[in-house]
Amino acid sequence: MGVTKEQVESSLTSKLNPSHLEVIDMSGGCGAKFSIVIVAEQFEGKRLLERHRMVNGALAEEMKEIHALSITKALTPEQWKQQQESEKSQAAA
Amino acid sequence: MATLNISFLTQPHSTLRVFSNLSSQNNPSFSSYSLPKTSLLFPSITLRPKSRTSTRHASIVVAALKKLSETDPLTVPLQPDEISGSFPKESGVYAVYDSNGDLQFVGISRNIAASVLSHKNSVPQLCSSVKVGVVDEPDRTALTESWKSWMEEHIATSGKVPPGNEPGNSTWVRQPPKKKSDLRLTPGRHVQLTVPLEDLIDRLVKENKVVAFIKGSRSAPQCGFSQRVVAILESEGVDYESVDVLDEEYNSGLRETLKNYSNWPTFPQIFVKGELVGGCDILTSMYEKGELASLFKS
Repeated sequence: MGVTKEQVESSLTSKLNPSHLEVIDMSGGCGAKFSIVIVAEQFEGKRLLERHRMVNGALAEEMKEIHALSITKALTPEQWKQQQESEKSQAAA
Repeated sequence: MATLNISFLTQPHSTLRVFSNLSSQNNPSFSSYSLPKTSLLFPSITLRPKSRTSTRHASIVVAALKKLSETDPLTVPLQPDEISGSFPKESGVYAVYDSNGDLQFVGISRNIAASVLSHKNSVPQLCSSVKVGVVDEPDRTALTESWKSWMEEHIATSGKVPPGNEPGNSTWVRQPPKKKSDLRLTPGRHVQLTVPLEDLIDRLVKENKVVAFIKGSRSAPQCGFSQRVVAILESEGVDYESVDVLDEEYNSGLRETLKNYSNWPTFPQIFVKGELVGGCDILTSMYEKGELASLFKS
C-alpha cells in the first residue's frame, strides 16, 4: 500500500537522470503526499509546464497511488547553480 | 483598515504568536491566516495613549522601527505606474496623509507598494504622501506591534484616531469584489449532451481569458491547492472564471475528460487564453517570481 520515497526517487533517477534530487515524504508515512526538488539536464529549454509534465510522466505508475505531488522546484543545473549562489550570497549579506 | 496584499505563501515558517499579555481590544485582528485577499480588520479603535503595555518582544520591534514623527513622508506619484518604484514592496506599516498633511489612515501590509497603489486608485484625493516603516522579520506580532506603536504615537500627539481607522469607516477597506459564480459546463447530469464534453471544455477555455478548474467553488475551495490558486488569482486582481470539477451535477465527467484534454494529471488547472499554464506549483512559482502580471496582462 502506498508509494515509498525510494520508489519515487528511483523512478525519477532512472527516467530523468537528475543531477540533484530531493524527495520529501509529506504524508507522514502513508506515501500519498510528496514534495520534490529536481534538477536535471533534460529540463534545458523546456517551459515549467513541460518540466512538470516530464516529472508527472516519469511517475505515471506511482501517481495512481499518490494523492498530492508538489513539485517545488524543477530546474536546469545552470538555474540550480545560480539559485544556490544567490542563496549563499543572501545568507552572507 | 488595511488590505493584506501578499499572502503568507512565501513565508511558510511564519508563526502565530499568542497575544496573551496584550490587551486584546487593541489588536488589529487578522481575520484569516492564509489568504492573501483577506482584509485586515481593525475593529475597535479604543487605543489609549497610556496603554503601552508592550512586551519585551514588542519593544525590540518598536526599537527597530522609526517613530512616526521621525519618518520622512514619501510623495505619492501622480502616475500610478510610478508607485511601485517609489515604495518598498516589503511588509510593514504605512501612514497615509492627505494634501493638507493630515493623517488619514495607518495600515499594515505584506506589500506596501501594492497597498499604496490600491489606495491611490480607490481614494486618490486622500493619498498625497505616505510614511513607510518596513518591518524586518514581519511576523504578525511584529506587524501588529508596529501598527500599534504608530497609532499610539499619533493618538498621543493629536488626541484622535486617524479618520480612516475609525470604527465603521470603510474608505480604506478594499470593497470585496463581487464574487462571480462558478461556471457550469452542462445544463445538468440528466441532459443528454449534443456535443462532446471535450468540445465544451475547448470552447470554455478559448472564450474566457483566464479559467481555473478547481476543486470546490471559488468562494469555498475544497482543497488546499485550489484555495491557493484562487488566493493568488484574487490577490493579482485577475478577472477569471472558475469551474468546480467536483460538481457532479453540472460538471459530471469533467475530471477525466479534462485530464485527457490538457494532458495534466491533477487539479487545479489554470488556463490562460486557451492554454494550460499549469497547476498550483507552477502558478505559485510564477507568482513568487513576479511573472504573473505579464501573463495576465496582454
